[in-house]
Amino acid sequence: MADETPKSFLARIQNIDRRVLYALIFVSVIVPLFLPLKLPVPVTPETQNFFDAVEALPDSSIVMLPFDFWPSTLAETEPMAVVGLRHLFRKNCYVVGLSNVGMGGPTIADRLLDSIGGEFHKTYGVDYVNLGYKPDYRAVMLGMGTRISDIFPTDYRDTPLEELPLMRRVPNYDSVAFIFIVSDNVAVDYWVGLVNARFGIPMGAGVTAVMAPKSLSFVQANQLVGLLGGMKGCAEYENLLERPARAIRGMDSQSMIHLLIVVFIIMGNVGYFASKRRVPRS
Amino acid sequence: MDSIWTQPFFYFFLPAFFTLAVYSLLFKDNPWFKFAEHVFAGLSAGYYAGLIFTSVIKQQMFVPMLSSGRWDMLIPGALGCLLFVRFFPRIRWLTRIPLAFVIGTTAGIMFLQQLHGLILPQLQSTLLPLNDLSNIIIVVGVLTTLVYFYFSKPHTGALGGVAKAGMWFIMVAFGAHFGYTVMARVSLLIGRMQFLFVDWLHWAQ
Amino acid sequence: MIIAFFGTGDTLADFSNEALRYMSIVAGFALLLGVISITQVSAGVVRKREKDWPYKIVLLLCLFTMAGFGIFQGITSGTVFEWLFENIQKPMMATMFSVLAFFIASAAYRAFRARTVEATILLITAIVVMLGRVPMGQYVYEDFPAVANWIMMFPSVAVQRGIIIGAALGAASMSLRIILGIERTYMGRG
Repeated sequence: MADETPKSFLARIQNIDRRVLYALIFVSVIVPLFLPLKLPVPVTPETQNFFDAVEALPDSSIVMLPFDFWPSTLAETEPMAVVGLRHLFRKNCYVVGLSNVGMGGPTIADRLLDSIGGEFHKTYGVDYVNLGYKPDYRAVMLGMGTRISDIFPTDYRDTPLEELPLMRRVPNYDSVAFIFIVSDNVAVDYWVGLVNARFGIPMGAGVTAVMAPKSLSFVQANQLVGLLGGMKGCAEYENLLERPARAIRGMDSQSMIHLLIVVFIIMGNVGYFASKRRVPRS
Repeated sequence: MDSIWTQPFFYFFLPAFFTLAVYSLLFKDNPWFKFAEHVFAGLSAGYYAGLIFTSVIKQQMFVPMLSSGRWDMLIPGALGCLLFVRFFPRIRWLTRIPLAFVIGTTAGIMFLQQLHGLILPQLQSTLLPLNDLSNIIIVVGVLTTLVYFYFSKPHTGALGGVAKAGMWFIMVAFGAHFGYTVMARVSLLIGRMQFLFVDWLHWAQ
Repeated sequence: MIIAFFGTGDTLADFSNEALRYMSIVAGFALLLGVISITQVSAGVVRKREKDWPYKIVLLLCLFTMAGFGIFQGITSGTVFEWLFENIQKPMMATMFSVLAFFIASAAYRAFRARTVEATILLITAIVVMLGRVPMGQYVYEDFPAVANWIMMFPSVAVQRGIIIGAALGAASMSLRIILGIERTYMGRG
């Protein structure tokens, strides 16, 4: 009997109902929303470099901001686009928005450009433009190097480019001072491999955490000036901009759930090794 | 009337309903989830149809044709239409024409992008002086990883040893990648919870 | 494309850009293939009254509604197309991927075991990076952020770089095979 109790406890730990795990995850995400811990978010060098590069742009520079993300990763990417637009508009930069993701990309770009542009009293067509979406990002990125109007005869709202004051000043990449990529997919590889390599435009990228490990090799090779890796990277940028928003508020939940998953891993392994010791291999 | 519908609870009711319908899958498969799933698939296909009509057929073809007399835009239009003959078995072979154009152009771009844009800069930044630990880690890590993925010779002897070291490096990288993947998925969950409890219900800040 | 990269002159650039423009348009038509395919399959299920056929009617209704508004009213801000996307499609897409957080945590609990030396290395790195990348990590051990940063910038970058170089060599050689006509499987030939 004494031997059975711990055995059944270990067995119970090993075979805990998935819904109990789900409930624990749910609780650890929502509790910090109600009781924020407000832990400080240390800034990594790659975010600092990104921020410094944007900060160093001369006022009124023309910056391209590709909204290359799907709605599925909005929680990570939308705050990056928001913080990027706020920084650029604060510096009175002109923003050329576009999207290489068909599903939702141009619609999200339109909403964000209008709402953040509105915060800074910017005018569509003069201070910012949404070029919209055109299929095949390789063709789009390369084609814009010669003439943007070849690929985008009109903007997203059907206005011919020559009728937009901003686009009359941006025939191709020659007028673009910086590219602020926000992406959740392989488009980053093409911005780096086609546009940076061939046209030499400095660029930084805000990418989802899944993509961050790969994108860091572009940072180390100086193909990207800096990188925002997932919600954490965005929270760091919000910190630097002194405009706390969604990403910083989400970091407490992120802390809690990471800790919980580490506990899960340790518990799972303790159960595994204990049960292995009890049942020696035949 | 207006004031009720601009209240967050009603204003965000529809997105919240569909959010909860998708989460209901965590409990078990159910009709609400199936309904949401099919609404999603239908809207997504419809989104592409609307987007391509406006962004490609209207903006890239008809606008240049009608405003600048660029009637040559009928050529890519015709090539695009040829893709649809795959639904007619007798003339299906015609799809090879647009396919050859797209694959040929893509191959030209890819060849340059991979060689000039990725391989050369990445190799260049690996040619480091071996005077500190971090540089040694980079050089050894890149070489052993490449050796690990070299399958033309069996991984035995010295090659096997190098490949083994490569595997350890890969395990470190995959561990880091796992950590980041967790971070990514958790972020998405946090985003939805922020929507439900902050935007919709206004229970949290 | 390759000649345009090495060459100079407006004619060459214009020719290359026309090809890119055409390519973008043809790629757009290719996306419509998927729309036609899903319509065909769903209509077939409804016609034959197969399993879940009422849901396929919902799918087709949503498809035609979205496409109809997109084509006849437009796709910009303030349209029904945009409203349907923002209020129905976007929240669902965001939620579907967030469900993975539950699955990944459950998988970490059940399958992440230190069975071998390699698995142990992976497990320890994952824990260090997970804790090092969140604010709470520094309270568990103050050097976690620095260690996580070092792992990301050196061993992890080295492996990612090895994979990038290996994959890029493969993609470049495949492109060359296509250009030289050696690779023709995309045409349905061996």
